[in-house]
Amino acid sequence: MFLEGSPEHKSGSARYCYKMSENGRPAADLQENVKDNTLKEETDSDSFYDAQSDSSADVAPTRKTRKRPENKPPPELLESPKSAGVAENVSKASTQTSVSEGGWGSWGSWGKSLLSTATATVATVGQGLSQVIEKAETSLGIPSPSELSTQVEKEQEADAPPSSSEENTAEGSGTVLGSAMGMLSSSSMGMLSSLSSAVQNTSKTVISGGLDALEFIGKKTMDVIAEGDPGFKKTKGLMNRSSTLSQVLREAKEREQQQTAEKVTSETEKKAHYGMLFDEFQGLSHLEALEILSRESEAKVKSVLSTLSGEELTTLRDDLEQIKESFSLMEFDDEEVDDPQVDDGENFTKELTDTLKKLHISTSAERLGKARRNAFERIVKIPTEAKQQQDESSEQEAPVITCTVEDAHCYAITSLAELTARSIEQFHKVAEMLLHTSVEEVTALEQAKVLAQITIVLCKEISVLSKKFTACLATIGTNEKGEVLNPLITGVFLEASNSASYIQDAFQLLMPVIEVSHIQRTAESSPR
Amino acid sequence: MAYAYLFKYIIIGDTGVGKSCLLLQFTDKRFQPVHDLTIGVEFGARMITIDGKQIKLQIWDTAGQESFRSITRSYYRGAAGALLVYDITRRDTFNHLTTWLEDARQHSNSNMVIMLIGNKSDLESRREVKKEEGEAFAREHGLIFMETSAKTASNVEEAFINTAKEIYEKIQEGVFDINNEANGIKIGPQHAATNSTLAGGQGGQQAGGGCC
Repeated sequence: MFLEGSPEHKSGSARYCYKMSENGRPAADLQENVKDNTLKEETDSDSFYDAQSDSSADVAPTRKTRKRPENKPPPELLESPKSAGVAENVSKASTQTSVSEGGWGSWGSWGKSLLSTATATVATVGQGLSQVIEKAETSLGIPSPSELSTQVEKEQEADAPPSSSEENTAEGSGTVLGSAMGMLSSSSMGMLSSLSSAVQNTSKTVISGGLDALEFIGKKTMDVIAEGDPGFKKTKGLMNRSSTLSQVLREAKEREQQQTAEKVTSETEKKAHYGMLFDEFQGLSHLEALEILSRESEAKVKSVLSTLSGEELTTLRDDLEQIKESFSLMEFDDEEVDDPQVDDGENFTKELTDTLKKLHISTSAERLGKARRNAFERIVKIPTEAKQQQDESSEQEAPVITCTVEDAHCYAITSLAELTARSIEQFHKVAEMLLHTSVEEVTALEQAKVLAQITIVLCKEISVLSKKFTACLATIGTNEKGEVLNPLITGVFLEASNSASYIQDAFQLLMPVIEVSHIQRTAESSPR
Repeated sequence: MAYAYLFKYIIIGDTGVGKSCLLLQFTDKRFQPVHDLTIGVEFGARMITIDGKQIKLQIWDTAGQESFRSITRSYYRGAAGALLVYDITRRDTFNHLTTWLEDARQHSNSNMVIMLIGNKSDLESRREVKKEEGEAFAREHGLIFMETSAKTASNVEEAFINTAKEIYEKIQEGVFDINNEANGIKIGPQHAATNSTLAGGQGGQQAGGGCC
């Protein structure tokens, strides 16, 4: 569920995105749709947003599995527009999502979008996303809804005296987020025309959730920033040479490094660079290695296919088609995502271990479990309100807070980077074991389905963690100004979205590996 | 954090010769007598300084087991340096060097710098391969040679750093095309962005050598 303090804004963006991608309609149509949705929202919000009881800062950013839109010509026309039953559509969207198929062929465009999001992060941290969005908005000619600005003002006023009740806090932060999200949705509306072509092409993609909107903003924003930034253009130039995700990521990370070195920056920036942390956790290396295996497997599959003919070829084609399908359809169990309680990760580790077992290869969830425990330990370090009241013996001028919002932000980013790096590592190890051992207990198709399941488990956890961290941020940041807190919260969501993308992309890299594994097995079982 | 160059290394050799231990000693300065078998490849990274320049070593520590060979071979490509390791207390690991070398040469770029390492030099009493034999093998095949001990850390730093020095020299000589990343060398970020605002301050600390 997208739990969100002010659902009018958030859901606007969520639905909007959903419709946008499902129908792939031209911009004008869509904008009308958005209006409709926003109106309709108020009536059905109860059924969709199941309660206010949860912390209102909660947003589910990453639960949806999807691929980034690619600039490919549309393979076919999309489903015919369904204008009826918005609510129905939405609920459908929340239970069933899919990723676009394949698409590994076009590394270039794919990487570009990645780079821009990665670099957008730099901008986020460096300049404050709200500022950046403003810039993007102006340049796109999008007026910020007046309703929104009132909200923001209200929120800033409300900053002053929180009567310490939990509800108040929650409300306040909800507004912060709500307005942030509102801004996003309004911006993405204006971007539609430019995005629609990209969106039309992702036939099966269901984009939903505010985070996707956020991601788009990030990309768009980067373009705006790039105009006055020769350094960025330089990076773009480098891009053309690179052909793999890890390279692109590496370059994005290096830019981060460089910016950190160049600017005299705040503590936050030095500590909380997602890309650098991701690399430190060896995420990039594992990704690079996984890419190598994936690429070689892909070549192997191609060469095998080229040697076959007749019935053999048809059979193999069908088999591979089935395998492909399990890489493009992922179902999300909605109810489980909405768990506000964050434990030490025991459930996560157990679920992961149990799922991994179904692969029947020797691999363990140990390292991921450790990463998850580390995340929990960091969450615990962030004082909740109850704890703050007891801890009044702290040294800073803000007497009740022992952990600054920057610290909390840093914990969040570190945790996301670590969990993501370990996820990539897990997939890399799975790929190695798949190529190494021939499994008899289970078919390649079944393994593919298990891997899809694992992907969901991982993305869900990213979502849960980001929710928890942002809730903490909102709680300890009630006395912070919006321009301090908002970019930090947005930053966490942005990186959570990126994390989920990397995990899903790594999952996609496993497809050729599974295919090779399948081919090996069939070759062994039917010796010619 | 920022570096002038990044070198990709691979560590290869029979299982149990101490590849992972060498890496751990180099990156973490510690020795772990019992080590899990490496699956596929594991990673380590460390920054070193050569000629006043920060160089990041990105090390791919491969599995030695025969059954992983076809997988690990995939990782050779794009390495600038290789540590080919044998165990001085196990003659068979020395005997297999030729196969390893052929493999490495076949699956990597021809300029790759290879350092031959006779590990476990602390176990002098159990030595089966004389130092001279290692030296001779290295000479014959154009490798650098060193005996090390991951346990006592003897020569470990040197092994990694001397390899980097050799690569660095090759760069200076123009042997390596640093703009071709298939060579396992990447130019660091501050090189790549000479045109952007290099406002002294922190950036100045590790201003990299000129390229481009």
